This record gives sequence, C-alpha cells and structure tokens, in this order.
Amino acid sequence: MVRSMAPPIETGQPGVIVVGETRAKDELALPWNVIVHNDPINLMSYVTMVFMRVFGYPRARAETLMLEVHHKGRSLVWSGGREHAELYVQQLHGYQLLATMEKSAA
Amino acid sequence: MIDLSIQQLDEKRILISGIPPVLAAMLREIPEILELRDSTEARARLYPNPTAGDDKINREWHQMMQPELRHLFVSAGETVGRDLTAMTADKEAGESWQVAFPIEHVSAWMSAINQTRLILGEIHKIDEEGMNRTDFNPRSAKDMAALRIHMLGYLLHQFVELGGDDGSEDHI
Repeated sequence: MVRSMAPPIETGQPGVIVVGETRAKDELALPWNVIVHNDPINLMSYVTMVFMRVFGYPRARAETLMLEVHHKGRSLVWSGGREHAELYVQQLHGYQLLATMEKSAA
Repeated sequence: MIDLSIQQLDEKRILISGIPPVLAAMLREIPEILELRDSTEARARLYPNPTAGDDKINREWHQMMQPELRHLFVSAGETVGRDLTAMTADKEAGESWQVAFPIEHVSAWMSAINQTRLILGEIHKIDEEGMNRTDFNPRSAKDMAALRIHMLGYLLHQFVELGGDDGSEDHI
C-alpha cells in the first residue's frame, strides 16, 4: 500500500519541523463494494461455502448473504479498498460465482 | 434409490461409492463437456466482467486474469479426467460404480463439476424456471442438460457437506 508524506509543519522552534504521515490513500478514497449476483445454476450450499472460505465469514453470515443473493438477485458481500476488492472478485470468479466490484456511492 | 456417498478412506484418499450407472455416465462426459469452455456462451459465464460498466477495467482484467483463470479451470478438468479413468464397478453394490482419488484433488473435483454444470446451463440456456422443473422429457436436449445439472449438483452438494476442504490453497 502506498503511503504519501504530508508537507512539513513549521513548529516555530528554530530548526525543528514535524513531518507527519498522512493516512493511506486507500483510507481516504471511497470504498469499493464487492457484489455477488444470482445465477440459476450455482447451489445455495456451494455459495455459502464459498463465502465462508473466501471471506472467512461464519456460517450464519454466509447463509444470510447467500439468501440475499438468491432472493434479491444480488448482495453486497464486502466493502473496502480497491486492491482487496479485486482480489476477492478474482477469488469468487475462481469459484465460478458471478461477482463484480463497484465504487461505493457514499 | 441413490446410495451415493463420499467418504475419506484414509488420510490421503477420498472414495466416491454407490455411483449409479447414469451418474457414472455423466461423470465420464465431464472432460468432453469441459472442452466447450471456450465457446462464446461458456466463456462469458466462466470469465465474467469484474465491473458492470467500466470497459477499461474490464478489458485490463480479462487481459491479466483470464489466462490464469483458464489455466486453473483446465487443470482441474484434467485432474478429474485422470481420476475418472480409475472409476470401476463396485462389485459389492450391485450395478453401481466407485472411484478413489487423492484428497488434494477435492477442489479440482468441485471446480470441474461446477464448470460442467455452468457450461451445460449456458449452452442450453437454462434459466431459473428450467432449473425448477421436475418433469424431464428424454427427447429434449435442454431437459436432459437440466437433469445432468441436477445430478451433478447432487454430487457437488455431497462434496460441500464433506467440507470441501482438501487442505490445498484456495483457487487463486
């Protein structure tokens, strides 16, 4: 993760400046959402297992998200930095789930 | 009645036993069906876009990720194809079949079975309604594809119940 340095801050004391580290760019940017979409073929039990394996979610949470995918057609399954979102979408595609990522609107 | 079961034989091997002849025939078809993975329909499903509408990200993604994903899928199919050559008649269980394979192949089996189901679904354009049907016309290729998807789904579900964990790395 790339971190940027803040400009030096004058302290008023001769020869003393403070160089602060800004928050990571990822923390400042809007998060990316990972969305899983419903498809007619994938098994509900399989999708639940994938959510548990990829995200480390407990079974109850994985099942809740799976049911949201099933009933609503899509579910926001994870939100965070872009690099992680890309990794998760890559893993979900590896398990043959229909997954996309999108920049959070808020 | 299906007496299909998947069990861990020992620390190193998995055994699928009680495979009915019709499912055994479907399993033997897996390598051939997987050869259709590069058809237009199957490609769109197996290698979906990572965004709903960002052409630049989608293009770059396919350039970078698709070869790796394809390699993963092909490798899983080849592993299962090799394992299936060892499928034998189960002499103790009537007309059923059995196959044993290394436990580290479990992920490959799950991947290949699901790839097969998805490819059949895309090629025969099977939707939610088609999947919910319970009557299958043996003269309809689409209905027979749906039946294959269900039967392979039953086997996949058994793998999920087993834990689906072969101790290997995740898919990617």
